[in-house]
Amino acid sequence: MSQGFKIEVKEGGAECALRDFLEKILNLDEIRAVLTPLRLPYQGAVMPVLVSHGDRLGAAEPLSPAYPLSGARILSRLTRQEAGGRVAAVLRPCEIRAFVELVKLKQASLDNLILIGADCAGAFSNDVYKRAAAEDADGDLARRFRQAAYAGEELPAGYETAPACRVCGHITPDGADVLIGLFGVDADREIWLEARTEVGKALLEGMDLPEGEEPKARSGVIKDRVGKNRERRDEMFHKTREATGGLEKLASYLASCVNCLNCRVACPVCYCRECVFGTDVFEHEPRQYMNWADRKGAVKMPADTVFYHLTRMAHMAASCVGCGQCSNACPNDIPVMDLFCTVAHGVQEGFEYEPGRDVEEPPPLAVFREDEFAEVVGR
Amino acid sequence: MRRKIGKVLVVGAGIGGIRSALDLAETGYGVTLIDRAEHIGGILSLLDRQFPTDACGMCRMLPLLDRDTSGQYCLRKGLFHENIDLKLSTRLIKMEGEPGRFNVTLSTRRPPIDPDRCQGCGECADVCPVEVPDAFNQGLSKRKAVYLPTPHAVPNPYIIDTEACTLCGECEKVCPTGAISLSDPGRKDFRILVVDDELIVRDSLKDWLEDVGFRVETASSGPEALERLGRDAFDLLLVDIKMPGMDGVEVLRRAREAIPDLTVIMITAYATVDTAVEAMKIGALDYLTKPFNPETLVPMVETVYQERHGPGRETLEVGAVVLACGMTYVDPAEGFGWTGYAGMPDVVTGLELERLLSGTGPTGGRLQRLSDGGPVKRIAWLQCVGSRDHQVDADYCSSICCMISLKEARLVRNRSGGEVETHIFYMDLRTPGKRFQRYGEEAEADGVLLRRVRVHSVVVDEKTGRPRIQFASQDGRLQEETYDLVVLATGARPAVGTGELAGLLGLELNPWGFPLAQGFNPAISGREGVFLSGSFSGPRDIADSVLLAGDAALEASRVIHVAGGWEALEDADEVEYRDVSREKVRTLIAVCRCARELVPEMDTEGLIQELEGDPGVGRVKVVDNMCTAKGWEALVEAAARERPNRVILGACLPYVYARRLKELGKMIRLAPGNMDVVDLRTPLFSVKDPGAARRLTGSELRMALARIRRPGSPVQEEVAVEPRALIVGGGIAGLHAALALADHGYPVEVVEREEALGGNLSWLPRTIEGEEPAEFLKEVQAKVEKHSLIHVHTSSEIVEATGRAGRFRTAIRLADKTRRTVDHAVTILATGGREAEPAGYGYGESDRVLSQKELETSLARGDLDPAVLETVVMIQCAGTRIGTRNYCSRICCPTSIRQALFLKERNPGISVWILYRDMMTPGFLEAGYTRAREAGVHFIRYTPDRKPEVEPGPDKAVVTALEPVLERDVCLRADLVVLAGGVAPQLPGELAGAFGARLDEDGFFEEADSKWRPVDGLREGVFACGLALSPRSVAESVASAGAAADRALRILARETLPAGLVVARVRHALCSRCEQCIEACPFDARYLDPEKGLVVVDAAVCQGCGNCAAVCPNSATVLEGLDDRRMLDSIDAALEAGLMSL
Repeated sequence: MSQGFKIEVKEGGAECALRDFLEKILNLDEIRAVLTPLRLPYQGAVMPVLVSHGDRLGAAEPLSPAYPLSGARILSRLTRQEAGGRVAAVLRPCEIRAFVELVKLKQASLDNLILIGADCAGAFSNDVYKRAAAEDADGDLARRFRQAAYAGEELPAGYETAPACRVCGHITPDGADVLIGLFGVDADREIWLEARTEVGKALLEGMDLPEGEEPKARSGVIKDRVGKNRERRDEMFHKTREATGGLEKLASYLASCVNCLNCRVACPVCYCRECVFGTDVFEHEPRQYMNWADRKGAVKMPADTVFYHLTRMAHMAASCVGCGQCSNACPNDIPVMDLFCTVAHGVQEGFEYEPGRDVEEPPPLAVFREDEFAEVVGR
Repeated sequence: MRRKIGKVLVVGAGIGGIRSALDLAETGYGVTLIDRAEHIGGILSLLDRQFPTDACGMCRMLPLLDRDTSGQYCLRKGLFHENIDLKLSTRLIKMEGEPGRFNVTLSTRRPPIDPDRCQGCGECADVCPVEVPDAFNQGLSKRKAVYLPTPHAVPNPYIIDTEACTLCGECEKVCPTGAISLSDPGRKDFRILVVDDELIVRDSLKDWLEDVGFRVETASSGPEALERLGRDAFDLLLVDIKMPGMDGVEVLRRAREAIPDLTVIMITAYATVDTAVEAMKIGALDYLTKPFNPETLVPMVETVYQERHGPGRETLEVGAVVLACGMTYVDPAEGFGWTGYAGMPDVVTGLELERLLSGTGPTGGRLQRLSDGGPVKRIAWLQCVGSRDHQVDADYCSSICCMISLKEARLVRNRSGGEVETHIFYMDLRTPGKRFQRYGEEAEADGVLLRRVRVHSVVVDEKTGRPRIQFASQDGRLQEETYDLVVLATGARPAVGTGELAGLLGLELNPWGFPLAQGFNPAISGREGVFLSGSFSGPRDIADSVLLAGDAALEASRVIHVAGGWEALEDADEVEYRDVSREKVRTLIAVCRCARELVPEMDTEGLIQELEGDPGVGRVKVVDNMCTAKGWEALVEAAARERPNRVILGACLPYVYARRLKELGKMIRLAPGNMDVVDLRTPLFSVKDPGAARRLTGSELRMALARIRRPGSPVQEEVAVEPRALIVGGGIAGLHAALALADHGYPVEVVEREEALGGNLSWLPRTIEGEEPAEFLKEVQAKVEKHSLIHVHTSSEIVEATGRAGRFRTAIRLADKTRRTVDHAVTILATGGREAEPAGYGYGESDRVLSQKELETSLARGDLDPAVLETVVMIQCAGTRIGTRNYCSRICCPTSIRQALFLKERNPGISVWILYRDMMTPGFLEAGYTRAREAGVHFIRYTPDRKPEVEPGPDKAVVTALEPVLERDVCLRADLVVLAGGVAPQLPGELAGAFGARLDEDGFFEEADSKWRPVDGLREGVFACGLALSPRSVAESVASAGAAADRALRILARETLPAGLVVARVRHALCSRCEQCIEACPFDARYLDPEKGLVVVDAAVCQGCGNCAAVCPNSATVLEGLDDRRMLDSIDAALEAGLMSL
């Protein structure tokens, strides 16, 4: 199931054309609201915004390099129960994959939802974006970023995309109903659209759009980019394994952790209502600290930082989509993403599981297979 | 709340006996489980792996309800249940009384090693000078006369092979705990009078018997003997027959007149053996033929001593007896010269191969040639060694060997990575059980080669010295192939002592010496109140043994109930435990000081001081030899004095203390969750350094402290049981189950879709055994209709069902279209099966092509006259064992044979041909197959790639089939072609689903476990029986109905379903409702309550496995008793000893 359409871009460029596209969607009878990154009037901040009136879409920036938080979490809040109308949501590929995981974990629903995703050239980390936005006098950051990033140009030093984006292997929105194709085209002339599901097809067909074919160069561009990212990723795996092999090294890697739990708040697939590290399980009795101090001569406080990360790894490694929001959220610049992605890669390979690939694919821990890991558990 | 509702003796602690015992115990009966062997498990203790999982899984038999009454241990290691008294080395020697009130006398051999004191250190075996073949390893390795009966039992005390033991006394000297006492003090009190006119005989008997500890006096004549007997009390008289003056028989007569229960053994010369036999008729126990030696005499006297006078003799009152004595295998060393077994080490039995494949076997699981230790590249299995063989008087199929050989071959293939060639030489590959057919095909896919060849003999290959199999090829030429190992699938034989037991209990035996079941229920023996379980009455695989074990347990229960033994006695020991949750923790730690300390230099005092420094510890007490009565008293005293609110015992084997600890808890009113036992001994086995020993001991105790320090969880609410059963289906299985439950006093609702009850039995005129199911049905139906507790709803259907074990609620649409709602504790699905419409062969195109059922009904109605038929062709597997119905229907081969014999009987001139793939006549049905061949029924084998062809014509139907021996087509002009279409299930998926049950790939009921829980559904409280389960005969349906009723009874017999100590709970405030735990629960004990939006745990069904807690990321689900904080604290305590370092 796949059908191609296109948006012919006129004056105002791709940004304008996409805003019009979203407005057209919002104007459809069956759509109640659009969730899209939108530039707020303050400090150039871009946040996911739920828009139900078309006139508010003027500030929408679906291709902004800002990635302040994962939209998957936001969308899960909107869909956990019946919201009273259909929503079209514009998400990055990694957000869509995280969202699919949340659906499997019964924290979100695909009912009454249309997922729109664009080819992704990456995003800035929060501090880079803040800096860039402050320097963006004419409010043209999104366009400039798009033109450079999608063309594959080298971004200026200090303005590279986030580390997670540079190692990302999923730069196209695989789970979307509607794909906005930006690789391999001049988006200031034409944007390719693809309906990837029945729902997406019905939506696009109702919009009176001209048909379009996949740009010839697109698949080559994607292959190229993913190839480069993979190389960087493998290098990152290697470096991270070197840096974290053994408990001593791991403790050193995580040395500046203050147990703020920001990474878990930022993580789109860390879905617990309350983290176990916030519950009574880790409310140690005072005498316990004394015991530890007695035994080792001294005990670092907070005491459970490495344990916290190990636990989160055990919980989330199967569902980690590599969005990098954990690193983004860390106040002490611990490269959390590098560590989690490295571990997640092994776990996902072991279970032959790819988070976000298919909503019907059950999470590995919910499945019992008698014959798996024979080399570990024997027969 | 435990109810004591009667006692049952279960004889035989193999899996059949274990299952009968566990089911009865779970229902609330007291069970005495005995076995003549020194270990439990029977044959299964020798086998590590069973199909279809090619693993073990015996633990799946452990009780699911009220599981804290039972040790949750590996059942191969041991069986611990509050209601089961297990007695090993014990035999049943006498039974008197009536069903419901039998007096049974048991005799337990006094073990020379006190099992309670043996630590299993093995020093005795090190010094023992005697080496004999190890029976456990089938003689493939050696062991000492003092040895471990199995490698894996828990506890595993050493035992002494008294026959091999020379009484040298070395072991007694080295035993560190003084557990060994070779001389039995009781023997001194066992007085023997030896009467013989020859001094030399008198003296040597006296010497021999006094050497082993008996007290012996002598008399030289009859009158002297009588005089001595009049003066003193004797226990045994050994008297010579031929004496001058008064002969031995006269002495016997007079002595027995004066002392009626005197045991007498006659001594006789060869010439007077007949007289000795006569003497036994007037009361002599046995006789000894001169000349004899101590090896004959001593064991005989020993047996008399043990059984009649020994300290291990006891009499119990029981309501019923279940016989699960198992079976044995024929010994190919005698009478099977053609197999080469006696002369070639590389020819082994199946059991020997199992030991070779076992990690605890003689080669540690490494497959090698036994002759020279060389590598094994080719193995051949020879089926039917001592089965299906007239010449050795075994005209029956041993039923289990085909699957066992397939399993073994698959294991070997898979383990060797496909390196080893595995060939099975067979006659018919019998795969008539549930999923067997598929397993066989999987084995073939794994590369197991099936060779349908008759083996002539196995000889030594002169060049290599290896076994060479000689067999006839299809064209009759002799062929030969050499193998590294030849495995004999040896046939089943009645268990050792079956004849003796049958004599004792008055059981009828079949022509081959197996106990004979009566009527249609295979659990019913010839003696009322005595039931047949497991494979005692004929070879059965695990699933069938377990199923029959359930049926036997049910019948035992029924007898007790009918005899009035059901009066529930509330347990007088019922106690209300103290609420200690708010008290400051005050732990009593009792540390055992063993008679033999492993590290005597350990600073115990220092450790005690250190532990007492912990604010949660009240007192640490050292108790000398806690396992002894004296030691235990000291502990009880301390507990009574201190009134602690936590107790930790630091001792050795925790299961030894489980029961005692519960008693202690009752005494000081402390709930079991506040107490723990720690094994302080095992961790010290490899430690010599006193400092390390102290750290380890301290850490073990601190870990226990961490486990019980936090207050126990709130008591789980118990689920009230609605004492009613729902049975869906009114065929013979449903009705039998209904009667069984109603006979126990529980109301039963039977829902039948059809207008009339009876199912298939209403058209089935007779079985192959010649019995008439219709009569049986009439009888059962009459009982059902008369029973005030059974409510039958015909023309009715289940509309919907909700709920769980103990409290289902089901809506039934009745005949008049009204709805009726029933609350019930259990559901039994007995929806039956029907004859599948045969596929192909012109069925439906011609009147000459019939199904088996159509033939049956035509004959019964008289529409068809056998006298006018010339030729009848029967085609087996018409649509089964292939394609989408890839299973054997089990009953069609016996049916064809029966029909063929019937036609032959009515019209001896008729020509009947049976075209078959493999004749599936397992067990004693084989005799029918033989009878049919003798009666002149022709059998032609065909393969699925060359099926027979049927050309129906107006006059005759022409059947063409390839005759495999002639390798030529034969054309048969048949008046009738009868097709065996097999059995099709009729259990609607929706109906099963309403009760949380599932269908298997063939549409039959999916059992929780095909071997160990063959009638249970995945959800507790839902069971199935009869054809809904899988194709089966009438008797097998009845057995399954009994088994299902038995499983249901476990629930019905309770007022409430209690939860275990370790049970899952949801902390709703933390729960994100991701429902991963529901997916992960293997017992279907969790569900989302849609109204409250909460994940709920059915605490009675929860088995505390912890899968839910493992998938729950934030401990919103916790395992009470094993929650995160306890675990973390325990780990911390472990770290203290440096067990782990972080």
